[in-house]
Amino acid sequence: MLALSRKVNESIVIGNDIEITVLEVKGDQVKLGINAPKAVPIYRKEIYLQIQESNKEAVNTDVSVEAIKKLFD
Amino acid sequence: MDMLVKTKHFGEVELDENKIIYFENGIFGFEDCKSFTILYNEQDGKRPDISWLQSIDEPALALPVISPFIIKPDYNPVIEDELIKHLENLNESNIVVLVSVTVPSDIKNISANLKAPFIINSELKKGAQVIAENSEYEIKHYFYEELQAYKAAKEGK
Repeated sequence: MLALSRKVNESIVIGNDIEITVLEVKGDQVKLGINAPKAVPIYRKEIYLQIQESNKEAVNTDVSVEAIKKLFD
Repeated sequence: MDMLVKTKHFGEVELDENKIIYFENGIFGFEDCKSFTILYNEQDGKRPDISWLQSIDEPALALPVISPFIIKPDYNPVIEDELIKHLENLNESNIVVLVSVTVPSDIKNISANLKAPFIINSELKKGAQVIAENSEYEIKHYFYEELQAYKAAKEGK
């Protein structure tokens, strides 16, 4: 992993059209500003992982199709 | 044209190719699976409330899905336009919105993922799973109570 030191209001640029700026540092929290094309989805990683996990859980149910169907009948 | 598709819950089914929905970005956790179809058991000629989003590429990949509106009639996810731009001209007559359902052994803890709906253009057969910006929508929305109310209302009709 590339590690860069930045101060408040300094940025890094990724490719031609993504810019990440350090807006504020407070204790152990860092506020980042991100400029990117709207087509680039930006997620908090924990949300992204939880949704991946949720799809996997939905697939891996132990409950039978009949039992699931019955729930909705 | 019909093709034979292996499915998780319905054995081998004959499927009309125009029933295949293309998710160009796959779905979360299964980014390589891009072709899906929606399967269900018709009951008295009617479509039931529960269906399965079945991968064409991976027979073991099938998620139970429902319309979010049966448990949340005012469901209104806010989605960044650019994320569904490739679904083209979405409108009231061609849009289909589904959410995945997780069914644990204790079925009272059944939950729906209101945070990451599947948005489908049923005319063009293109779909995407996207993250709604609404902070009130949860990845695990428990809905057993809402389901009972919905069923009671349906019975009453």
